[in-house]
Formats: sequence, structure tokens, C-alpha cells
Amino acid sequence: MNDLLEVVNLTKNYHTKKGEIEAIKNINFKINEGEIISLVGPSGCGKSTLLSIIFGLDKDYKGKVIKKDNLKIAYMLQSDALLPWLTIYENAILGLKINKILTKENLDYVNYLFNFYNLSEFKENYPKNLSGGMKQRVALIRTLALKPDLLLLDEPFCALDQQSRLMISDDVYKIVKKEGKTVILVTHNIEEAVSFSDRVIVLSKRPSEVKNIVHIDFKNKSSIYERRKDSNYHQYFDKIWEDLEIT
Amino acid sequence: MGGFRNNLSIEQKKYLHDLKIDKIKVMLAQALLLIGFLVLWEVLVNKGVISAFIYSSPSRIIKTIIELIKNHNFFIHIYITLKEVFISFVLGIVLGFIIALILYEFKFLAKVIDPFLTMLNSLPKVALGPLIIIVCGANIKSVILMALLINLIVNIITIYNGFIGVDEYILKLFKTLGASKWQILTKLVIPSSYQTIIASFKLCTSLTLIGVIMGEFLVSKSGIGYLIVYGKQVFNLNYVMTGIILLGIISYILYKLIIILENKLLKHL
Repeated sequence: MNDLLEVVNLTKNYHTKKGEIEAIKNINFKINEGEIISLVGPSGCGKSTLLSIIFGLDKDYKGKVIKKDNLKIAYMLQSDALLPWLTIYENAILGLKINKILTKENLDYVNYLFNFYNLSEFKENYPKNLSGGMKQRVALIRTLALKPDLLLLDEPFCALDQQSRLMISDDVYKIVKKEGKTVILVTHNIEEAVSFSDRVIVLSKRPSEVKNIVHIDFKNKSSIYERRKDSNYHQYFDKIWEDLEIT
Repeated sequence: MGGFRNNLSIEQKKYLHDLKIDKIKVMLAQALLLIGFLVLWEVLVNKGVISAFIYSSPSRIIKTIIELIKNHNFFIHIYITLKEVFISFVLGIVLGFIIALILYEFKFLAKVIDPFLTMLNSLPKVALGPLIIIVCGANIKSVILMALLINLIVNIITIYNGFIGVDEYILKLFKTLGASKWQILTKLVIPSSYQTIIASFKLCTSLTLIGVIMGEFLVSKSGIGYLIVYGKQVFNLNYVMTGIILLGIISYILYKLIIILENKLLKHL
């Protein structure tokens, strides 16, 4: 497998009036093409900061983030961040509009995604008329519309109820597997990390360091529901739980 | 949006009917309150409980309006005041918007002028009256400047607060989508401030009216403010009360116009 991205000796400090805070300390990991990894750690340990640095939003850090040439990265946030004054279709094509790539091919892909997620009949509705799960699907379409190679998911399911959470995470899982996307998922939910990813990177509390890397392997990986049924599921869960507890 | 039944059930019809009845009841109560107030005013004056000379009465106000219409002064006073209000309002909103935008783009400047804006905001602008008259002369310009001084600072502060109050998640989203500064401004910051801008319209309407009347008190030769001052000078308080009633009607109509605009602009929020 080819390396898509490598994080080398990454360190990040915050500067405040009261002093300097060590947020991330000497983090190293690689991610291969088509791989799904999760970053799990206590809240406030700098997981989202790490994603911002990988994306390039935060440039104030030490160390290196080595990316494959012409790597297209898209970022999905905790909140759906839909604009209330636009219809959900206009929201979905916002990234294409901003990047001035409203080509027929890209719009066809957006329409395909609307069909895939059973949202076609709601295209002209405004976000306030949609459920939390539907809104997060629109946010997902907006992210996928840019056809990224690497998807950064920053706790995208955390604001949803349990049922929507499972449904949407399975939606995401299926489409990234189908299209061979590479994913970095940030979550504080161990179940989500185990059922979603190929590798789980467990981070310690602040200053965040890599505590352990757990490789996940299931017999049937067709959906997150199947993965959850695997006999090893609870072993992985307990292992990560232990790693997190002793941090 | 799906999920609504096409045919209305009896319960749904009753619910809609109750809503309508409730609305009619509120309107009727409002009309009764107004009519009751006017009748009580008229009766108290006619019975000599309150002075007709000081407080006038609805019938005297109607007579004054008829007299003013006959003299061709009625519409001139209203026209002049409305013209001053309109010019001051538009100038206040446009300048307020532009200055707020400059402060949003240049955060350093915003920090520098913050205490001065606060100071100017709390300064009683009427104190500037003599200065305004000397600079602009005793004409409509002074009235407009007075109104502008009163509404502008509040407009700047309100609209600027709208700009900086943009949802940080959505701001981050725009950055992750690769939006330029211009795109962030035009597609996010301004549209998401519609609610605050409309709120500043409402504030601006009442402040502009205050400013215009204050200006007319100081320098004008026509307008509703002038009518009130004139009434006081000739000791005809019917003019004063007519002016006050007209101002009440004008401010109500302007407020309603802004509500219509608000409903149009913000219907999806």
C-alpha cells in the first residue's frame, strides 16, 4: 500500500497570557491509501487540532505533515453547518460553487448522492425542515461532492441520536469503502472507532501523545452492523478502553 | 416538506379556526382599546375634567387636520418630515453598513476606535445642535445631520456585532471549502447578518425619527417637529397634539414596513 500522508514529530503548543500550553507532543503516524483510521482520546486532548493541522488550517506547529502530491482533502465538522438561507441542494453544492467547479459531471455526482441517501425529494427544502440525521447526510454530500482523496471527519456523528448515529456512520462507511476513500475519523466514542476503522490510534490526555495503535480486523467488513457482530469486537473495545483508562 | 396530510381532519380545521379566532380577538381588543382611549379623552375634555387648552381632544385634532389640509400645509409638513427621515435613514444604514464592514475587515482599526465609538454613542447629540447649525446653516442639512449623528453610531455597532457574531463552525466550514476572503464576506458574513441588519433597521427607524424631530425643533421652517414647536410658540396646543398623533401614526407605518421586509428576507431562518 502507498503512503498517502505521514505525520512526523508533530508538536503543537498554545500561547495564552497565562503561559504556554502543550497540546500535542511528538505525534507520529502514517496513513495508507484506502485506509480508515480513528483518533480516539479524552476530550480536549487535541484531536480536532490535529485534524486542522493535517488539513492546513492551522500552520502554527512543529514537525512535519508530509502529503502525497496533489492530495485532495475534505473536512467534515461536528455540526452540519448548513446555511439556513439556502436550500439543502444549494448547501450541498456550496463547495463546488466556491471552487467554481459546477461542472455537469460534478452535479451529476451530487444528484447521484442525493438519490443514494434518499434525499432527492427534499432538495428544495430548507435545513430547518429536516431532521438532524438528514442534515448530516447533506453535510456529507457537500463534503463528498468535492471528490476528495482523504476525508477528515471531526466527530461528525456526535450531535445525533443513537439511531441516526448508527445509520449515518454506516452510510459514510459504505460510501468510503465503495469509492476507496481514505479517512481519518476523530471520535471519543470507542464503539464508533472499532466498528468504523482499520486502525485506531489511541491518544493520551493533554499533552497528547500516541498511547497505542490498535489494528482492527474483522471477517465480515461489509457494514458497521456486521463489524459489530464479530466475536472480536468486544476484545478490541476492551483493549482501547484499557488504554484510555490508564492515560 | 413531506409529512403533512393533504386532507384536513376535523381537529386540524378546528386548530386553524381557533388560531384565526384568536387573531381576530387580539385585533378587536386593540381597536377597542384605541377607540376607548379616544372616547375617554373626548369625554373628559368635554366634561371639563382635563383642560381642552392643554390636552386638546380627538375632535379638535380632526378640526386642526382639516384646517391644515385647507391651508395646504398638512401634506407639506408630513412630506418634509418623511423626506428627512428617508434620507437620514438610508444614509445611516448605508454608512453604518460600510463602516461596520471596514471595521470587520480591519480588526486593528476596530480595536483602536472601540472606546471612541462607545463615547460617541453615549454623547447626547442634541448638545451638538448649535455646532451643527453653525456648520450646516439653518436648513434641511442640519436636520439630516442631527438624525444621522443619532442613528449612525448605533447602526455601526449593531451591524458590526452581527458580522463578528458569525457561527465559528460555519466560518471554519468555509475555510475548509477553500473560500476566499471575499467569498466568506459575500456568501457567509453578510447573509448571516440579515437578522442583525433588520434589527438595526428597527432601531434606526425610531432613532431617525427622534433625530429628525430634534433637528426640526432646532432649525426647521416646516415639518411635524416645526408644527409642534409652532403650536407651543402660539400657544395652540391642538397643533402640538396633532403633531404627536401624526408622529405616532408615521412610526407605526414605518415599523410595519420593516416587519414586511423582515418576513420576506428572513422567511427561511
